Amino acid sequence: MQRILLAILFYLMTSQIVGINCYSVEPDEFLQNPKKELRARNISKNVRCLVCQNQSIDDSSAPLAKDLRILIRKKIEQDNSDEEIYNFLTERYGDFILLNPPFKISTLFLWILPFVFLGIGIFVIFLHNNKSKKLDYSK
Amino acid sequence: MKKKILISPIIVFFLILFVFFYLLIIDRNPSELPSVLINKKVPAFETKSLLENKIFVSPNEFRNETTLVNFFATWCKPCRDEHPYLIKLSNEKELKIIGINYKDDSKKAIKWLEKLGNPYSNVLVDSNASLGIDWGVYGLPETFIVNSNGIIKYRLVGPITKKNYHAFVLKVKEVEK
Repeated sequence: MQRILLAILFYLMTSQIVGINCYSVEPDEFLQNPKKELRARNISKNVRCLVCQNQSIDDSSAPLAKDLRILIRKKIEQDNSDEEIYNFLTERYGDFILLNPPFKISTLFLWILPFVFLGIGIFVIFLHNNKSKKLDYSK
Repeated sequence: MKKKILISPIIVFFLILFVFFYLLIIDRNPSELPSVLINKKVPAFETKSLLENKIFVSPNEFRNETTLVNFFATWCKPCRDEHPYLIKLSNEKELKIIGINYKDDSKKAIKWLEKLGNPYSNVLVDSNASLGIDWGVYGLPETFIVNSNGIIKYRLVGPITKKNYHAFVLKVKEVEK
């Protein structure tokens, strides 16, 4: 009996978690054509919701996210390419709306700095190793 | 030499601490975004006017004088707080202010303006947020300063308040020059 109760409790808890994780796209937004819908979903996943800022519009239930999802689907129905849609959005909201920042002069540091730090790290370890090799521990 | 090496991480630590503390205490809103439309022409659009039976055609109406474009809605509480300052700007500074009624019930908006006063020279209807998206709006209220050539010079995200009113007037004067 206890086991059954536990199982039910477990089921309720996990289904709740799944419920929280499900996407915010509402059924009335879906496009009829599954291929186009998939394209819309993929674009939405890479577009930042500017209201909640760390969520994509695919995850967000903010009204602006919904407006943008509908706009993207409209543009897909009008046969706009993915690039045209991204351009439309960045012209209005800037690169910040993309969750994956493009490689440009203004984002150069963002992309290159990790490698610079990696280089510095390797250099420091190399120096450290060289020094410890020179020390004579036998004395 | 060894002592110096031991001390350097502590110095770096305090430097980082100082930077974080500085960013914490200065008056800034980290979620506020710069507009990409600054120094660009106003978006082209056509829309209905709320109070007149006329169609508003975008770049044509932004000539000859500095114009404010204010996105507002009756459901937006900060817009209500901002309203007296818009009236002040329109009366005292004789500024042309175009209101864009964002995703709102037109009847409610008309009542709202009757009750609180109408600082706008024209109120435009944006029922489906398409104008908002064209202007890169992400939170109400937002106010743009457009110069006499129809170029967007400044955007304020959030309401005009007692605190930032004078700074805002200075910005307008700067654009008017």
